[in-house]
Amino acid sequence: MRLVWKLLKRHISIPQFCGFLIANIVGMTIILLGVQFYNDIQAVYNSEDSFMREDFLIVNKQVGTLSTITGKDNSFTESELSDFKSQPFVTKFGVFTPSTFRVRAGFDIEGMTNFSTDMFFESVPDEFVDVDKSEWLFHENEHSVPIIIPKYYLDLYNFGFAQSRNLPKLSEGVLEAISIEININGNGEADTYEGTLAGFSNRINTILVPESFIDYANTRFAGNNTQSVSRVILQVDDPTDERITKYLQDNGYETDEGKLDASKTNYLLKVLLSIVLLVGLVISILAFYILMLSIFLLVEKNSTKLENLLLIGYSPTKVSQPYQILTILLNVIVVLVSVITVLVIRKMYLRLFEDFFPNMETPSTSSMWIIAIGLCVFVSVVNFFVIRRKVLSIWRSKK
Amino acid sequence: MNSIQLTNTLPDVFKGRTDIASDVWLKDLTFEKGKSYLIEANSGTGKSSLFSFLYGYRNDYQGQMIFDGHDINHLTIQQWTEIRRNHLSLLWQDLRLFPELTAHENVKIKNNLTHFQKKSTIDNWFDQLGIVEKKDTLVGKMSFGQQQRVALIRALCQPFDFILLDEPVSHLDDTNAAIMADILKAEAKDQDAAIIVTSIGKRLDLEYDFILKL
Repeated sequence: MRLVWKLLKRHISIPQFCGFLIANIVGMTIILLGVQFYNDIQAVYNSEDSFMREDFLIVNKQVGTLSTITGKDNSFTESELSDFKSQPFVTKFGVFTPSTFRVRAGFDIEGMTNFSTDMFFESVPDEFVDVDKSEWLFHENEHSVPIIIPKYYLDLYNFGFAQSRNLPKLSEGVLEAISIEININGNGEADTYEGTLAGFSNRINTILVPESFIDYANTRFAGNNTQSVSRVILQVDDPTDERITKYLQDNGYETDEGKLDASKTNYLLKVLLSIVLLVGLVISILAFYILMLSIFLLVEKNSTKLENLLLIGYSPTKVSQPYQILTILLNVIVVLVSVITVLVIRKMYLRLFEDFFPNMETPSTSSMWIIAIGLCVFVSVVNFFVIRRKVLSIWRSKK
Repeated sequence: MNSIQLTNTLPDVFKGRTDIASDVWLKDLTFEKGKSYLIEANSGTGKSSLFSFLYGYRNDYQGQMIFDGHDINHLTIQQWTEIRRNHLSLLWQDLRLFPELTAHENVKIKNNLTHFQKKSTIDNWFDQLGIVEKKDTLVGKMSFGQQQRVALIRALCQPFDFILLDEPVSHLDDTNAAIMADILKAEAKDQDAAIIVTSIGKRLDLEYDFILKL
């Protein structure tokens, strides 16, 4: 093999291969950095709220002074709902179902204070709630209900109530371990349930329970008298779509603009990232093209040698090997250098992130690795077969 | 491989010609293992083409060429590689050595593939053929006669049932041609192989079983 390599390495153009290496490292680094940055930035978004995805919008009718005075109903009619649902920008649509029974909930903190308050529940279709499906379940027999409460409630306690009463501050983790006693009555029935906090949400200003629980409890404690829908939740493809804003305005609906902005930011981020990935991909494809051209040129320049090797009994497989190994080696170098570059850059920006979002969980680099290795394997396999084809074409050229 | 059979073969370039008087073209002819053949030819009668066809390098001919009952036009790349490694050896008229390798490396590149000859045998042949001091010289810097001897050694670095030699002594003096003939005879005898030699004038001195006119 050493002698074969000695023959076939002739005409290898170092500048051409360096050009390929640099171009491909740049392209690959952009792709991998884009993927990793997206993952990391998603973690920042998710650390804000892990229950609601950013592309969900919560919409209600505007509550005006006049409607308060006149007692005008603020709920959506059937035709309004079906019109909304059929809008082209809506990909998923659900309504808020409120509880129609009396709820009183209470809990103890370190045996010192007993909190107890009247409250209400609402539910949205489970597909809009982004928690582990096995946790977001209500079983009639177990008397246990998972709850998601607005994070403001916790802030209200920690920074208002606990501060003024000299009570201990509570973290999300501690609260999730506390069970809440829920007393429900209505329709001549009463029952007690154990509530467990499944998490806190910044997105929804309500107390969420599973849809199955609301359905069950409304039937049992309220005789299932149907409630009108005053809030809807929807998923949209593109939160920057102007049709959404226009539709909401035209119909006098409102949504949390801040959240819409966050969605827009996230959406723009995705678009920006797609452009970055595309640029990386184009550079990589061009680099791949340079490599293929260099190899073709090399095979062409060494075609007499390759032909003679085939004629003295070397198989096309054996003759292709040196060039295949060479390209695979180059691809591995590209991936390694790119991954190392990405990891170094990541370390630098993560330091910045941590200053802004100290609670942020650092996401893993596994998807970046998978893409890096996947691209390397894919490109190497393509190189492998293209080189073999080229060598076989030499075999056949004289036939 | 025991036989090479030619059935009514003719290079495509001779198609339509009516003046072909040959013992090979357009005839039924069988080369058998263990025999020796001399094919005498004038320039331009298709001598090198015949070997190119038999070696699977070209297939621009009509008729059939058959190895042990198999039409060679239907052999796969793997089968040709196996034949070129273990059954059929060819010394090309233009030698097809690698000028950027030394004489010894040119031989080694073949023997590394087949591991057929011992190092001592190869060294001995270099010595016998008078090119031992040229072993480490680049082939590109050797005379054609010296290169012919290197090409012969390379052709012998594999097992074969048939060895084809295209004007092997065209640039050799009589002494070296005789040594070459002796080495070739001994190797062919060892393997019970057939020798097929072409010549347009100076012939390799062997006791041929058949002399054919192309």
